[in-house]
Amino acid sequence: MPHDHHDEAHAHALLPSEPALRVKALETILTRKGLIDPAAVDAIIDLYEHKIGPRIGAGLVARAWVDPGFKAQLVNNTDGILSDLGFGGRQGEHIVVVENTPDCHNLVVCTLCSCYPWPVLGVPPAWYKSDAYRSRAVREPRTVLVEFGVIIPPEQSIRVWDSTAEIRYLVLPMQPTESYGLDEAALAGWVHRNCMIGTGLPSAPRTAASGHD
Amino acid sequence: MKPHHDMGGDPSGLVKPDQPDDPVFEQLWHKRVLGLTVAAGAMGAWNIDTSRFWRETLPRQDYQSFSYYEKWLAALTNLFVAKGFVTRDEIACGYYAGPQQNLRDGVLRAAAVPLMLAAGAKASRPAIAEPLFQRGQKVHTRLPDDTKKQMPGHTRLPHYAADKVGTILFSHGYHVLPNSNAHFLGECPEPLYSVEFSSADLWADGNGGDKVVVDCWQSYLVLAE
Repeated sequence: MPHDHHDEAHAHALLPSEPALRVKALETILTRKGLIDPAAVDAIIDLYEHKIGPRIGAGLVARAWVDPGFKAQLVNNTDGILSDLGFGGRQGEHIVVVENTPDCHNLVVCTLCSCYPWPVLGVPPAWYKSDAYRSRAVREPRTVLVEFGVIIPPEQSIRVWDSTAEIRYLVLPMQPTESYGLDEAALAGWVHRNCMIGTGLPSAPRTAASGHD
Repeated sequence: MKPHHDMGGDPSGLVKPDQPDDPVFEQLWHKRVLGLTVAAGAMGAWNIDTSRFWRETLPRQDYQSFSYYEKWLAALTNLFVAKGFVTRDEIACGYYAGPQQNLRDGVLRAAAVPLMLAAGAKASRPAIAEPLFQRGQKVHTRLPDDTKKQMPGHTRLPHYAADKVGTILFSHGYHVLPNSNAHFLGECPEPLYSVEFSSADLWADGNGGDKVVVDCWQSYLVLAE
């Protein structure tokens, strides 16, 4: 038996993980019983993997920074403006925009499950759904923020929003002074996903020189 | 007793932030579970409150040992069995022996996916009466079990915010009540409020200047003395 064959099997076990097999079994049963259209499942995955994500929220924040009229609408008529722009929908039917100020930093969590504004941020990252974040964000937000590299000065209060109902919260971060004068498209690059949850602050986009990709 | 899903304020480990280049889904099967759950929900045989109830009532050992999407998968499987769409035997042997069935009425088709996601399902309902509480008023939260409509039941009042005094920050109008809706006992819409608590009132080690806001239905609250 060729030696390299054996090595390859060792490096990559071909057996799917147990949960993967369970999902496959359930999907097969549901499909055969006419309870699921696998093409619909594919379409849902495609939308959340490729189209609905934090770049939508970043565009809204950047526009709010350069256009006070839009910002007023985004804060005061959130569902109306999101619907007009085609960014409403599932898990974002009732969005409230909470604005960071020098006096108050906002942080969003869902302690009971994993509620998150899907139409503007996509599906939540693993840490947002973790026991550690769900448990600690409400009780020790400042310590949790340090774990994200964010230090909130003592004079700035923190308001933690626990998403216990169908209201979804989107943080409108403060525009960094270093970014003043940039246009909307450039500013969107400063708005990373975490600053719209409150676990990050806007920062200059990563460049090819600073990234590893 | 505090249920295992209600973990706000519990001691826990460090939060592990992700990296900018991490994929949206860690595993291929994670996407499948998400897609199946969303598609199954669109069938209309249950609602989002039912799904939450079935996830949080997974046995404690399973809830604590399952990864996130395993919880979704386990709850979805249980729901399909509980609603009579799939049998325990079919799940146990992982196979449906009968002939291929046509797609049932109401099952989400691929072409309908973008519209279904864009439409969502609003939880707001027309107002029935003036909300009982006004902005700035002090309210006292009840105990989670006292807000349930059956046992074991469903509530969205976390234990850390129970039996505490907070302030009405704003009112969201009438919203479907999860406590009844989860068990098909009717939508029973009620005024929904954002209630703000001082961290120092929630925990002995809470920072006095920091606040926690919890969305509470009217029946979770009584006017504070």
